[in-house]
Amino acid sequence: MNRMRRPLRIAGAMALALGVAGVLPAHAEEDGRRVIDKKCASCHLENGKLTRIPEIRKTPEGWDMTVVRMGVWHKVELTPDERRAVVKYLADRQGLAPSESAPFRFLTERRPNMQDAPPDEELAQMCGRCHSYGRVALQRRDENEWRKLMHTHLGQFPSAEYSALGRDRNWWEIARDKLPAKLAGLYPKNTDAWRDWSRAKHRPAAGRWVVAGERPGWGRYTGTMTAKAKGKDRYEVSYELRFGAGNTVRGQGDAVIYTGYEWRGSAQIGNEDTRSIFALSEDGSRIGGRWFLKGADEIGASFEAVRADKATKNALVSVNPQMLRAGETVELTLAGAGLDAKIDLGPGVEVVEWLDKSAEELKVRVKVASDAPQGVRKLSVGGRESERTLAVYRQIDSVRVEPAFGVARVGGGTNPPMTAQFDAVAFLDGADGKPGTDDDIRLGSVPATWSTEPFNERAKHDEDLKFAGHMEPHGQFLPSFAGPNPARRGLNNVGNLAVVATVADGGRSLNAKGQLVVTVQRWNPTPLR
Amino acid sequence: MRTLHLKKARMALVALCCAAASASAFAAEYLLTVTRPNSLHIIDPAKREVVRSIAIPGDGVPGSIVVPKDGKIAYVLTNRMESVVGIELDSGKQVFRADFSSPERRIKGFFAVAVSEDGRELYVHQAPVVLGRSEYKVEDTYIAVFDTADGLKAKPRRTFPAPRRISLMAATGNPDHLIALGWDMYLFNTKSGKLEKTFPVRHWDRPGLGEPDVLAMWGTFEQARALSTPYYVAKTDVPPDSPEAFKAGIAVFDLDAETLKTVEFENAQTAIFSSVVNPAARNEAFLVMNQLSKVDTDTGKLLKRVELEQTFYAINISGDGKEIYLGGALDKIAIHDAETFAKKGEIMMPGGADQAIGWLRVVKR
Repeated sequence: MNRMRRPLRIAGAMALALGVAGVLPAHAEEDGRRVIDKKCASCHLENGKLTRIPEIRKTPEGWDMTVVRMGVWHKVELTPDERRAVVKYLADRQGLAPSESAPFRFLTERRPNMQDAPPDEELAQMCGRCHSYGRVALQRRDENEWRKLMHTHLGQFPSAEYSALGRDRNWWEIARDKLPAKLAGLYPKNTDAWRDWSRAKHRPAAGRWVVAGERPGWGRYTGTMTAKAKGKDRYEVSYELRFGAGNTVRGQGDAVIYTGYEWRGSAQIGNEDTRSIFALSEDGSRIGGRWFLKGADEIGASFEAVRADKATKNALVSVNPQMLRAGETVELTLAGAGLDAKIDLGPGVEVVEWLDKSAEELKVRVKVASDAPQGVRKLSVGGRESERTLAVYRQIDSVRVEPAFGVARVGGGTNPPMTAQFDAVAFLDGADGKPGTDDDIRLGSVPATWSTEPFNERAKHDEDLKFAGHMEPHGQFLPSFAGPNPARRGLNNVGNLAVVATVADGGRSLNAKGQLVVTVQRWNPTPLR
Repeated sequence: MRTLHLKKARMALVALCCAAASASAFAAEYLLTVTRPNSLHIIDPAKREVVRSIAIPGDGVPGSIVVPKDGKIAYVLTNRMESVVGIELDSGKQVFRADFSSPERRIKGFFAVAVSEDGRELYVHQAPVVLGRSEYKVEDTYIAVFDTADGLKAKPRRTFPAPRRISLMAATGNPDHLIALGWDMYLFNTKSGKLEKTFPVRHWDRPGLGEPDVLAMWGTFEQARALSTPYYVAKTDVPPDSPEAFKAGIAVFDLDAETLKTVEFENAQTAIFSSVVNPAARNEAFLVMNQLSKVDTDTGKLLKRVELEQTFYAINISGDGKEIYLGGALDKIAIHDAETFAKKGEIMMPGGADQAIGWLRVVKR
């Protein structure tokens, strides 16, 4: 069964080698349709009509994985330009509408430590045990085409029905007889959403954008991004990101827009080689998503942007800090586009001094009344209510480690280690006065000191703490090398650890625990896991 | 790497030519195993050495090894599970070959290969997929019967339907019978192709127990004539967080009596991959992965366990029940005393070749 893994591994390596589909600068732009006629039609043409290909809709990553597989399985040789062209062509014409891809953006954006939630147990078992469920849910086919996928799946990966995750059921019979209709019901080829989106004209991304986000371990940032058109759907992009006093990073790169809204970029930001996976909002006024390091996609930052043009009025993208303690007087910075110097921060939070007023940044000193109501409030700028929020608290009631369950992977050989970044998040107890319940109110990330402990008796006995790696001061766990480690036969350097955050709140100290599993390498780093 | 390996194999062949044949008068036992890329090794366990390495023609990776009673020809599943190659052990020559696949149809055999006791028929469980121009079509599985006299281009003489997901097969003491282990154990009549009897495993009806998880990929039944495999099963009548909630057991099929015995022997706490029954004490079974364990299959008691120096997937035993052979992973076969579990020796594969998922068989000559 080792052998069965091999094609996937190659596919993954190829996908990585070329980065996110289509982000490299497009010199000598290929015509995607010509590539299909030249390279795909030798098998996918019957009676003058293309087979299979027109029956499917996918994300850019989905199409890219398909193209890579055709190379690995059927020796279809495409130049990098041809590969980009065919992915662009297909993603534009047979993509997903924004509303269709929205539930699984965390997967597209490669957010670490996420678990997707399949709609039922059968789909969780049949699909989500071996790969993300989102990989399935980001495709659209009719029943017959879903059935063909099942045949391809077992035909190409015949060990599926023998594997530990597939052999507890009649995998093939369920895949063949039950899933096609079910998946076609959930993810049909023809939808109103796609019909409307594919007919509509979409706003280009060119222009200046005010941006903000948070990079776990580094903190929040604001800044600007400028996209300059250099051909259809292609942009030259520059960034200036301010993480705080004295920590401004600048960057330069490229981006391609697929399907009218799927932004895929690459940029050198500071000294880091990054990839960005964003989505334009349907009206083209905002961009949201995540950027991450090339080759270490677990390290990255959230990203939000508002278009900074004359038409934009009071579009807020960031408020910093997000948490205000009752009774204190603090400086508050609001970033956005077309901002009027007129803000309403809710009851008990008064502006006592204006420090700076510009269309893209409002800086004020605010006094938070000692009796200001606790909790999360929306705020408004220029009379327009924003989605951005501000939290008021008297004291932090509890802290949680996020992710509550994190995974790191040992590294070595051809596989770099996968680190795990943790964040300490402050909460209020909410109406019930109890921590850890559904009505807890999330205040935001807070600085913490970090440590690790054995998660349980077994981990203590096996000395996981000694072997698995170490925690950096900013909450990033760096795993050990893969091994072999003669001192730990059968375990090498894996481990099961508790991650402890200690947060100071005034004179108090709060603790929170998360779990970190340091596990084996992943050999098939596909763009969609 | 490949060249070096083949050179070494050839040297071994020249130096030790006919070692197996010359030993035949003593009815000695030899071990057979396979390594990447595509080699078959004949090992003298008494001398603790590889007496001959044979390069199997074509692509690897080799896995299952089956040998009829006379111990003359080893049939090896190789070529990405798409071929069985018969190698005459005395000459090292390829004397039989069945390539399952064609350009239109890819056919895999997942470990489940068996040969009749008299060596005349070879049985392979096959999983076909039709490779159309722009789509695949998975077809039903079946058992293909080959005539071993059909040489290097052997095609199935006949086929009969068999359930999916079969991973292990063996000829029983009845010359017309073949036992196959998948979700359940199926007793086929190889002449009529009829499924004569099903021994429920997945579909057993044992109160308080769920469906067992079995993946038997290593056939080691020749010494005690008992096909055995570890399994795991959830206990459904205890809370899920109870230590009792997940049990490890062993299933033993007596090839002559055609009876199946299953017994749980511990709360599952470690992964176990394969097992072998002691021919000298048929109530004893030895199991392996990261530990070597001994179990009493009558009482369900775990009798002994030691940690091993590395992972081993495959296990076998000497005919007198005194030595345990561990292999099937990396480049080492370890020999342990069956009583004390003390390590008595080891045999390294030529050139550090990886046994991958290879079987470990004993032949008597």
